[in-house]
Amino acid sequence: MRIFHKTSFNFLKHRKIAYVISSMLLIAGLVSLFVRGLNYGIDFKGGSEVVIRFEKPVDVGTVRSIMRQAGVNGVVKQYGMDRSLLLKTDFQGNTSALKSLIGNSLSAQLPSNPAEILSIQAVGPSIASDMKMSALKALAAALVGILLYVSIRFEFKFAVAGVVAIFHDVLTVLGLFSLLGGLFDYMPLEVDQSIIAAFLTIAGYSITDTVVVYDRIRERLRGQKPSDYERIFNESINQTLSRTIITSGTTMLTVLVLFFFAGPAIRGFAFAMFAGILMGTYSSIFVAAPIIFDWQRRSKNPIKLKGA
Amino acid sequence: MKKNTFKLILIAVVALVSVWSIWPTYRDYALTKKLKSFGSGADSLKFALDHRDEIEQARDKSLKLGLDLKGGMHLVMEVDILDLIDQKAWNKDENFSRIMDKVRRKAGESGDNVVNLLAAEFRAENIKLSRYFYDLRDSDQEVISKLNSESQDALSRAREIIRNRIDQYGVAEPVIQTQGSRRLIIELSGVTDEARVRRLLMGTAKLEFKLVKEPQQLLRAVERAGTAPLQASALAVAADSSQTAAAGKGPKKLSEVIGVMPNGQVFTPAYAYDLVSAALKRADVVAMLPQDTQLLLSAKPEQTAKGEQYYLIYLVQKTPELTGGVITEAKATFSSQDAQPEVLMSMNDEGTSKWARITGANIGKQIAIVLDGSIYSAPVVQSRIPSGNSVINGIGSLEEAKDLEIILKAGSLPAPVRILEERTVGPSLGSDYIRDGMLSVLWGFAAVAIFMIFYYNKAGIAADLALVLNILIVISVLAGFSAALTLPGIAGIVLTIGMAVDANVLIYERVREELAEGKSLKMAIDTGYNKAFSSIFDSHVTTLAAAFLLYIYGVGPVQGFAVTLMIGTAASLFTAIVVTRVLFDLFLDSKLMNDRSFG
Repeated sequence: MRIFHKTSFNFLKHRKIAYVISSMLLIAGLVSLFVRGLNYGIDFKGGSEVVIRFEKPVDVGTVRSIMRQAGVNGVVKQYGMDRSLLLKTDFQGNTSALKSLIGNSLSAQLPSNPAEILSIQAVGPSIASDMKMSALKALAAALVGILLYVSIRFEFKFAVAGVVAIFHDVLTVLGLFSLLGGLFDYMPLEVDQSIIAAFLTIAGYSITDTVVVYDRIRERLRGQKPSDYERIFNESINQTLSRTIITSGTTMLTVLVLFFFAGPAIRGFAFAMFAGILMGTYSSIFVAAPIIFDWQRRSKNPIKLKGA
Repeated sequence: MKKNTFKLILIAVVALVSVWSIWPTYRDYALTKKLKSFGSGADSLKFALDHRDEIEQARDKSLKLGLDLKGGMHLVMEVDILDLIDQKAWNKDENFSRIMDKVRRKAGESGDNVVNLLAAEFRAENIKLSRYFYDLRDSDQEVISKLNSESQDALSRAREIIRNRIDQYGVAEPVIQTQGSRRLIIELSGVTDEARVRRLLMGTAKLEFKLVKEPQQLLRAVERAGTAPLQASALAVAADSSQTAAAGKGPKKLSEVIGVMPNGQVFTPAYAYDLVSAALKRADVVAMLPQDTQLLLSAKPEQTAKGEQYYLIYLVQKTPELTGGVITEAKATFSSQDAQPEVLMSMNDEGTSKWARITGANIGKQIAIVLDGSIYSAPVVQSRIPSGNSVINGIGSLEEAKDLEIILKAGSLPAPVRILEERTVGPSLGSDYIRDGMLSVLWGFAAVAIFMIFYYNKAGIAADLALVLNILIVISVLAGFSAALTLPGIAGIVLTIGMAVDANVLIYERVREELAEGKSLKMAIDTGYNKAFSSIFDSHVTTLAAAFLLYIYGVGPVQGFAVTLMIGTAASLFTAIVVTRVLFDLFLDSKLMNDRSFG
């Protein structure tokens, strides 16, 4: 079976449109980041989260009022699992006291519907700020590492364009998280450690996709005149298009499986990955290669690729 | 055919090693299932005893599950090094406490080294560290290095003591690691009783034997201290809202919540316990007491005939006669008199001789047994005790007595500890995660495998075989290196399934191009593999790099994801380039493939 027979899309001709789309996505994301901010999970904010499962379906409002009576200040929400609720508080003290307070008040008020506390997580503010720092360090190190590696294997312009594409992908997904954060109980889209894992994986995926296109360009560029660059870039993208789409497809398939089957703890991660792969595929075609092409047109020297 | 012999052997070895490494996991699973299948407990016990070695071996070598899958607690604790430093300082003045407050605030915001924070703060104020620490002649550098080595020592001692306590509590394979300059990471699998763990980890068990003052002195002291306000004005702000509200209409003076019984005992009602206990520690109250004395409350309430609960108040000498450091052995048991839980203790030689001297000199007087600032009992000394034995009674439950025994035996912590992060996953959530995770792996594999056959025909089958081997390798490496499988780790495996076929996709697309140019199948496969190699190499290196950084900077569960992603990516280099290649050669030789086999 074949989805694409010999394609010959003129991607570079339409690159200005792609630039506009990307800019709009980025601006929308950035505006939302400044206006709405991010929906931080307790990993980065500190606080406590308790997951409670009831034997029978339960009304969120009832539990909310029981918690208020018990003096537990916080938000009670549907958790993305059967008969389960999530209680979030900024409580940072003795979790065993919190546990018995919740357990006792629920069993007193809802004796016919026994509840079980499935998990308790409490994170202090100093840990939260440390986690933020190491997340930023990891992302920075990843970008620098990729910049160096692609510079060594290809050329500096290629490396910069690749890193720009990564920025583009991570920022748009971050913007998406900011826009949609907290809107759905099924996926609260909180930014926690697993989202950082997703961002690093997206960065890796994005550059992987880009490098495959680069590799083809390098192969085709050998001994060609700068006037042929546009044709070669276009042909290279077209020739790798099928692979790009198939790999993105299989990866997105598995990410969708994670989203629907792996439970609420993985859902945010899966969502980030899905959006990230989509953006990574788009950016390796419409962002990375076109940036090199435009940059190259302005510089006088022909592209000198290493390892060619 | 010959050129492939080596590759074939290599593949066979990898596959065998993988199966060999996963085998105990399967055995463990099968044996556990069998154990559960027995109708009666006796049968199951008999089977367990008969197959004991086998069961233990399988369990030992099987794939370890992470805390999130098995249920358990993950804690990050902080050893209060600043408290230790504060104890080390002398000549403390207002300037010093102001700077310490500042350092404390900064230390609360990050995990940086406290000694460095302290040094920076002193440097900013242009005050020499030696004014407060060690010898006046020491340079700042010397003080810093001394403080640093003391704080490192305190951290490792705290780790050892906590390890002792956990070992005695009986947790299988606890993980206790130091992180940075003042943190401990503790992982306890299968434990979900927060209250007990909290008591075991944080219990300082500061045991002191203190002389109780004469009743007349107690009455005089209470009379004077009673004039003090129950709540200091500054304290009322800090106290939480419910207490402040209560103070508005409640008693104003300490004397209003303290009573004297006909027999001369002084008490406070149970409802005022928190307030009185806070008030007795206040500097203005302490100042009213005679030199070197303090008022302490009993640990457990007594009951009147009407059922009202009250706590006794004692006046004791502040300097302890003896401290818990001399305790060598402790044993929780029930008292022979009233069957109440108690802890029997014996002392080392030094403690024994001191204890004999103290008891001999104070016959007829009361000696209070003080634990963490509360009086557990204050027996009257009947005779000189030469054996070095003593007992703590007045303990609420046997469980509490057992914990106390553990803490006393393990020794007290060098500095107070705080829990910064705590994650508890109950076993039922863990088994949900396992089920969800398995389902995801199955569906993920099925989706990708079917797609590959659909899209690439026979070549897709080769890719799927490679994928199976890939998953086997990931699981076997995890089991072989005793790395725990976590839920994010399972997510990593599922994601790897999607990404691992990339190498094959790259090759197959290339082969299709070569075929389209009219090359023979054999030629097309050769060129396809050669030309795709550089892309495959670059793309795998970048993915590996990202996963590696995630492993370095990530914590806990995220590392589990990074590990499976790394193994999966590395394994896919092998499976795509070596395994599928050999398969194609075999297929070509046996004429199983033709030009249409690549779909």
